[in-house]
Amino acid sequence: MKKLIGCMAAFIVSNTLVGCVSLNSVSLTQLPEKREHLVSASASDLVFLGFTSQNDFVDEAVTALKSKCVGGKLTGILTKHQTTAYVLVFKREVIASGYCNTAAG
Amino acid sequence: MLRVFLTSIVLMCASCARLDHVQISDIDQSQGPLKAISVKVSNVGFDAAATTAIAADLASSESARDNLGDLAAILAMFNMGPRTGNPVYNDRYAEGLLQQLKQQCESGKITAIRNIREAKSYGTISGEIVRIDADCII
Repeated sequence: MKKLIGCMAAFIVSNTLVGCVSLNSVSLTQLPEKREHLVSASASDLVFLGFTSQNDFVDEAVTALKSKCVGGKLTGILTKHQTTAYVLVFKREVIASGYCNTAAG
Repeated sequence: MLRVFLTSIVLMCASCARLDHVQISDIDQSQGPLKAISVKVSNVGFDAAATTAIAADLASSESARDNLGDLAAILAMFNMGPRTGNPVYNDRYAEGLLQQLKQQCESGKITAIRNIREAKSYGTISGEIVRIDADCII
């Protein structure tokens, strides 16, 4: 009996800690002809019970994406905004990827 | 004890930020230096059904509680369906964004446009915000 309770508790804990993802928004821009150099960046923050006063982490994703294609042109940008729910804590995340094309090729 | 708890919740909820949508456009860093520009517009959102439901909970008489409860249900039915954030009373508040963005960029060449739909929530009232961050190619 104790073993069964232990197994059930482990099952519940592992399932709740893994987290459930909800996809808030997705967008894609025009795809370039040259699709060789794919770069990606993401930024996230953790909020307790959803209480937060800012959404500044979005800017971090953009800055990181820009830094991976300095002097080039980023097109075909796929932006995902998702939220992962853990126990009482939510992870808000922006994941962006795109194709970098520079004059040098 | 209950008052302390409710006050804590209200204080924690004061100015809670919500993020609904993020979209990043093409980023062109090949044409010269960039200058960050930003435009933000907002409108007051109001959750009438939730407000009435709170009033119903706080009502002292049984009949007032019932009437307010019914009103909350009717208001909730009026506002049911898919929506982003609280309803606002002006459906044109985001229309001037393009003009405002252009005014901040003399060259007219705008890249790295980030469309952000967010809100600041103050209980049943919220500021429903549309923010456009971008870079002006100088």
